Order: sequence, then C-alpha cells, then structure tokens
Amino acid sequence: MTGPRRVRGTRRRRGASGRLPGPWRVAVADGSMLPSVNPGDWLLIDPTTVHWPRRGAVVVFHEPGADLLAIKRVAGRPGDWVRFADAWLQLREDEAWLMGDATDEALAAAGHGTPIDSRRFGPVPIERLVGRAWFRYWPLRRTGRLPRPPKPRPAPS
Amino acid sequence: MSLFRRLLAPSAVAHAHCDLPCGVYDPEQARIEAESCYRIVEKMAANSDPAFTTRAIAIKEQRADLVKHHLDVLWHDYFKPEHLATVPNLHDLFWNATKQVSKVKASSNLDDAKKLLALIDEVDAAWKATGGEGKTRVAGRPS
Repeated sequence: MTGPRRVRGTRRRRGASGRLPGPWRVAVADGSMLPSVNPGDWLLIDPTTVHWPRRGAVVVFHEPGADLLAIKRVAGRPGDWVRFADAWLQLREDEAWLMGDATDEALAAAGHGTPIDSRRFGPVPIERLVGRAWFRYWPLRRTGRLPRPPKPRPAPS
Repeated sequence: MSLFRRLLAPSAVAHAHCDLPCGVYDPEQARIEAESCYRIVEKMAANSDPAFTTRAIAIKEQRADLVKHHLDVLWHDYFKPEHLATVPNLHDLFWNATKQVSKVKASSNLDDAKKLLALIDEVDAAWKATGGEGKTRVAGRPS
C-alpha cells in the first residue's frame, strides 16, 4: 500500500506551527454514508489536501454552521452546477457540494431522517475542509481503500 | 488487543449524521399556543394597567414564536411531497398561517387571533386528511 492517492494539483499544506495539520485518523459515527462507510469504522485521513478532491472522494470537514466534524462525499466541485431546491446553482471556485451516500428509503427504514448534507447547509467553502478519507483500517476484515459511491454519480452538468 | 486498539484509536470522530425525527406531530401543539395568544389579547383588552400590558405583550410574542415553530416543524418534517395530492393548497396554507402568526405577534386585535385559530384548524384538517391522527401519535390522538 502506497500513500494516499494524490489529486492532480494537490500541494502539501502545513499549519501555522509548521507541522502538518491533523487529524490523521477518525472514527465514524452515524449512518448517512452507508453502505460504503459504516458507523464505527476507523479511517485514515489525508489532512494535507489544499484543493477539493475529485468527485466521489470521501472528505472530512467542519460542518458549516455547526461545531462538528462531519464526513460526506464530494458530489460537486468548484464551478460545477448542482441541483438544489428545484433550481440550479453554480459552485464558486472554492466551494464543493457534499452529499451523504445513504438513500432516503434506507434511512427511513432504519428510523433516521434525511442526511444532513449540502441539501441542508449548502455549498461548503474550502476553509472548512479537513482532509480526504482514503483508507479504512478498522474493522480488520473490512480494511482497504474506501469504495467508490454505490452508484456512479453523473457529473453535474 | 486493547493496547493495539489504544495505539491505533482515532483522535477525532467524524459524524455522518442524519436527522432523527421522533415522528410525533400534532397541530394541537400549535393550537394551544395560539389559544394562549387569543386569551392574552382578550385579557389585554380588559386591563389598562401599563405594567400588565407590557408583560402581556412580551408573553404573547413568546407564544406566537412557539406557534410559528410548531407550524414550521409540521411543514418541514411531517408533510411530504406526496401529501400535496391530498392537500393541493398545503404551501399556501402554511404560508398564510405563518404570516398570520406574525400579524398576531404585532397586533392586539382579537380578530387576528381568531383568524389564526381558523388557519390552524385548516392545518389540522390537512393533518387528519393525510392520516396524521393514526400515524404520528403514540396511541392515536386522545379525544
């Protein structure tokens, strides 16, 4: 296993102290990323990414409007058009559109409501990105790179 | 194993969270707060003590905010797009009802409060028409 897959144009980012920022490992809580990421999974994070990674990548970020570390999948990158509330919205050059994987039906069956993602809090600016989740190292029987989205997301056009 | 786990344990928790709706909704909640507003307006008309009026206005505004909150919860969380087939004027109804709350909040006119109660009764009818009575209360709505 080599290091995290780099996105083209990615530069290393260092914190004010000169040390690389963290966290490097996170535990996942809650199920809006089922079935690709389960609650209780331990993931490796690459906190050095300075740009939004490609569509389909799983990212950890500070949720807008809340003091909370959240995990979702990149559904739209800067410049993309995304569908929002029956209209289209173009993302600014530092923004991404982040969505949960789990379908509303699956969540309703599990007794949960809709995922709290960009449909709720809107586009996420790059300052709130913590890093890209790239590898699951716990539980041992499911270690490996994070799978692609359950169904390929068409690029927003 | 525990040492292994402790060494590798993540330093942060990332939440993949969703709403956790309790699934209990009833327009009665809004109705009771709206009735409070109605009674407060009544009492204000019967009492000219300025200290009482000040207190009554403050309490009426609080209650009106609660009405608005309860209506919003019904609108956002209970009603689903498919309910529009049963209640085609749903959005207009909530728009008018929440607007009416703002009116009640600012006025001391009993007719405004009465109109709000009527609108909440319409919401109640919509809730019943979509089966809310049987689905959203723990043991049905107490009668």
